[in-house]
Amino acid sequence: MEKILDKKRIDDWIAALAEWNILGPALEDGIWSYQPVSGAARLDHPNTKQSPKGLAFPQREIFFKFEQIKGEAPRLTQVVPDAQRHAVFGVRPCDGRGVPRMDLVFNDHVEDKYYTSRRKNVAYVGLACNKPPSPNCFCLSVGGSPVSTDGLDVQMTDLGDRYFVKAITEAGKELMTAAGKLFAEPSAADQKQVKQVHAEAVAYPQRKVNNLEEVPAKLKASFKSPLWQELAQACIGCGICTFLCPTCHCFDINDEVQSRAPLKGIRVRTWDNCQFPDFTMHSSGHNPRENTGARLRQRVGHKFQYFPENFGMPQCTGCGRCISECPVGIDIINVVNTVVENAG
Amino acid sequence: MPDNIYLPELARVAYIKDEVYGERAIKTFRVEPLNGELFKHECGQCAMLSIFGRGESMISIASSPLIREYKQFSIMRVGNVSTAFHDLAVGDVIGIRGPYGNSFPVDDWRGKNLYFIGGGCGLAPIWPVITTAVAQRANFKNITVFYGGRTSRDIMYRMELEKLRESVDVHLSIDRAEEGWDGYCGFVPASVMDKSPVPANAIAITCGPPIMIKYVIQNLNQLGFKDEQIYTTIENKMKCGLGKCGRCNVGKDYVCVKGPVYSWAVLKNLPEEY
Repeated sequence: MEKILDKKRIDDWIAALAEWNILGPALEDGIWSYQPVSGAARLDHPNTKQSPKGLAFPQREIFFKFEQIKGEAPRLTQVVPDAQRHAVFGVRPCDGRGVPRMDLVFNDHVEDKYYTSRRKNVAYVGLACNKPPSPNCFCLSVGGSPVSTDGLDVQMTDLGDRYFVKAITEAGKELMTAAGKLFAEPSAADQKQVKQVHAEAVAYPQRKVNNLEEVPAKLKASFKSPLWQELAQACIGCGICTFLCPTCHCFDINDEVQSRAPLKGIRVRTWDNCQFPDFTMHSSGHNPRENTGARLRQRVGHKFQYFPENFGMPQCTGCGRCISECPVGIDIINVVNTVVENAG
Repeated sequence: MPDNIYLPELARVAYIKDEVYGERAIKTFRVEPLNGELFKHECGQCAMLSIFGRGESMISIASSPLIREYKQFSIMRVGNVSTAFHDLAVGDVIGIRGPYGNSFPVDDWRGKNLYFIGGGCGLAPIWPVITTAVAQRANFKNITVFYGGRTSRDIMYRMELEKLRESVDVHLSIDRAEEGWDGYCGFVPASVMDKSPVPANAIAITCGPPIMIKYVIQNLNQLGFKDEQIYTTIENKMKCGLGKCGRCNVGKDYVCVKGPVYSWAVLKNLPEEY
């Protein structure tokens, strides 16, 4: 399904999606984030500070509540994710490509129903990149593209005064069908222009990870390389790289107690971070990843070696957030290229 | 929500025994289902145990799969959850989910000589294999257990080990000589060398502190044991047990899914991240 939408009518489309909670990019205090939209969605953002991964994998979610009166068995009450459907507008292709990677993790081996029951209620309405990329974009060198539809339900392309809107999935068709007569059929000229916009987007030069297909084997051979610690020497272990990453999925599970007698509390899942020393520390004090080098190696290895070995694709989508936001300038492109170049 | 992989079953603590006192205190717990039956498990698998209000901890199941009435866990007091376990009383209710991980290929070992080599708390993960092999004694040739503690007061399963002598060879050791001790004096790897097990048609299963495992394997290799004949288990910090929370991996594999049981032939080629 391919249609044309007059830019001035986007608020009408959003109004037609009454059953959906609509999110779109919003600029507040200089920070772009996804916020509930009423009226027209603003789609002139470079990219949001955070990816939309939290819709299916919230920063914090309660698994169950527990309650125990002394002398009785504990009572557990599951907290089931609500059934509200979300459509998130303006998702950039790199973040779209994060979605199937998260799907793999949470469906592999056994299904994580907290994730899957949220995930099935989220539709990702993508916006193809049509401007020169940000300084740290590198989607092309990790198998993506500024016009990739991977993980998206709808792809929109900005054609100046109108959008070219393409359904990618059934959920995408549903969103577009709800718009009814707002959409026009694309003309031959529209089709030609989309191709041209996409071709230009792909042609902009980007930074790149070199020779992606060789990276897993070279990283594997570099496990004991002293470069890891050299490259991670400046790391302060803040973890911003993982919290902003569209594919980082590591989490912690903890009990939070509201009352001790009678016992009342919740078991909570929160995002966790492989750059923290206690992430892997045994209760004995032994830590298999005891320095910043080992922890950087884990994050880079997970993205560029382990995930490719397990699932046949890199876990990094080239959004560049971890580079732009790192307070000490650790640059994942530079790390991968340097370690790979020096591999034995 | 059906099939909620994070929701534990409830189990009642039916039995608690102090194994070791002091700084490295170990207690053994047997838990029974509160309703119906607990999950089935295989030798070497683990379970995620909960004390509500304290949290969860991954513990190896120390009872044989042949025992359906209860599951046994021997827990050293080291961290938040294990300390809370040491404060439990019989009748208390805990949470349990599992089983997690792979298992010892016990069925492949029929007709073989089995050597078990344990140190400290490391007897617990191999105890289900020992007790299963003993229960199916006719399936195996000679069964020998080497087990050592730092001192005689660090020997766990003391009564059970004495009973084991009825059907298998048991060699106990302590690190330094003590009055009244008639077993071996010295470290576990040396105790193994003292008896020099023969590698022909044999499997060696070892678990204990990393430094002990390292020298046990060195010594076994020296005695002619091939890497494929040596099995061990490893541990890493875990939160989910399901290959999702992202912390227990050794290289590309999560220990909670592909481990904790490894042959040395496999483990020696993995990065040292445990």
